[in-house]
Amino acid sequence: MTIGTRLTLWYSGLLLASLLVLCGGLYYELIIERNADLAAGRQREPVEHEIDEVLLYYAIPAVLVTLGGGWWLMRKALSPVRRLTAAAEGISARTLGDRLPRTGNGDELDRLTEVFNAMLGRLEASFAREREFTLHASHELKTPLTIMRGQVETALRDGSPTPSQGELLGDHLDEIQRLAAIVDSLSLLAQADAGLVEFRREPVRLDELVHDACADARLLGEAAGLTVVPGEVQTLSVMGDRRRLRQLLLALTDNALKYNHRGGIIRFTLLRSGDRAELSIVNTGPGIPADKLPRVFDRFYRCDPAHGSTVEGSGLGLSIAQWIVTSHGGDIRLASRMGEDTTVTVQLPGE
Amino acid sequence: MRVLVVEDERKTAAFVRKALQSEGWTVEVLDHGDTVLPLLATTHFDALVLDIMLPGCDGLTVVRQMRLRQMKTPVLLLTARGEVGERVEGLNAGADDYLAKPFALAELVARVRALGRRVTEPAATTLHLADLSLDTIHHRAERAGQPIELAPREYRLLEFLLRSSGRVCARRAIVEGVWDYDFDPGTNLVDVYVMRLREKIDAGFATQLLHTVRGIGYVLKEPSP
Repeated sequence: MTIGTRLTLWYSGLLLASLLVLCGGLYYELIIERNADLAAGRQREPVEHEIDEVLLYYAIPAVLVTLGGGWWLMRKALSPVRRLTAAAEGISARTLGDRLPRTGNGDELDRLTEVFNAMLGRLEASFAREREFTLHASHELKTPLTIMRGQVETALRDGSPTPSQGELLGDHLDEIQRLAAIVDSLSLLAQADAGLVEFRREPVRLDELVHDACADARLLGEAAGLTVVPGEVQTLSVMGDRRRLRQLLLALTDNALKYNHRGGIIRFTLLRSGDRAELSIVNTGPGIPADKLPRVFDRFYRCDPAHGSTVEGSGLGLSIAQWIVTSHGGDIRLASRMGEDTTVTVQLPGE
Repeated sequence: MRVLVVEDERKTAAFVRKALQSEGWTVEVLDHGDTVLPLLATTHFDALVLDIMLPGCDGLTVVRQMRLRQMKTPVLLLTARGEVGERVEGLNAGADDYLAKPFALAELVARVRALGRRVTEPAATTLHLADLSLDTIHHRAERAGQPIELAPREYRLLEFLLRSSGRVCARRAIVEGVWDYDFDPGTNLVDVYVMRLREKIDAGFATQLLHTVRGIGYVLKEPSP
């Protein structure tokens, strides 16, 4: 039965019920009571009076029945819509495999659920295709890269190139290495999307990793005159994958170094906040315009400052950082003040 | 040393063969997974370089079968996928080492050499190269009798390079051996550390020992006369 039919029937029933209440009242007041008065030889009340009484005692309840019943009816009719909304809200890019529950009674909403589920199916398939494409593409790219790298190395070693040829071949090797690094990151993300990367869960002393990152940053930043300012680093552990957390810190450190100006600073802070660990890395730099902030975690997204200086890198560092954080059940945010500094804040569930 | 290379990609097989041959080793190449076990059953090899993706029997299965049949030839697995899970799977299957494509030839050669050596000679406690020496017990380095102050990471880097002195260490091998990262750190961490180490061991000496190999990595060696 369609919802239209069902609602019509239910509502007619409701109106009928309230009509019956009203008619019953009229019948009682005008016929039964008056006849009883007559039989008892009492003075009959005037008809207007009776009608006033009917309206007072029966019409108001009849209206209330209609109102209450109508409200209950609409609630009942809309409850599948609420359930659908809640279920649809729960579906994200990560849970595209989920389907909305069908009632199976063939009404309009069931039909809507069916269409929605079919759409989810298509969406899921296209996500899967994209993942597979990236996975295959990064895999296929490795074979030619291996060949190029091997042949260039062989030419450098055995081909006795002239100095300028050697320079050129060396340049090629550098670029091949860069390309290989991008392909590696891309393939890591594709595997992450496909749920193929497993995370260990062990207690990890986050403060140690932060101290390591500080030391690396100090050294790497020396050439650009960057100062690493030690903020407060509390001793704390989180449950997670040590190797991935190091990768996270390295990616964030790398970013803080790259998007910085000469003589700028980097500050690491690690604090306990409730039952979570809060890591923040502040770097001075050109800053990121507010409208670009939401996009910085997108793959290959670059937000190079207005003066057009290009920063070397794969453009995948922050995407990888975000993946590592969310896989640990954490949260990563970026805040920026133009021309002053940028702060990346990572919250991870504590041990 | 006799090395068997199993790789179905013709060009890759060609330069791997060339690189291993130029080390003076005898190299045989196969391009099909099913042909490996029969050949190993009849011929002795000191090391096996095995691609994972092969027509016929894949590399992992080959290693498993070898180990089941008590064939002890050391195996270096090559793979284009290169993720941790696969690395662990490969080593669990019985492989001795693992190299992700695209690899540096120098690294491949170094790893095959390490596999072939495999005689468990006790690690030397004092390492030498020319007038540079490193005492691995007391963590002391000297050059020409002058003590060198090293930070812990610099010490590990020097030890790593000295243990393979004369051979090129690829950046990735250094990252793995010294930092224990098995991913590309995406920074020039290695280069910066090598530069600092070079300042400490080479500055002020006529003979430079730490050399850069463009596009590949670094090598500690005495300059050839």
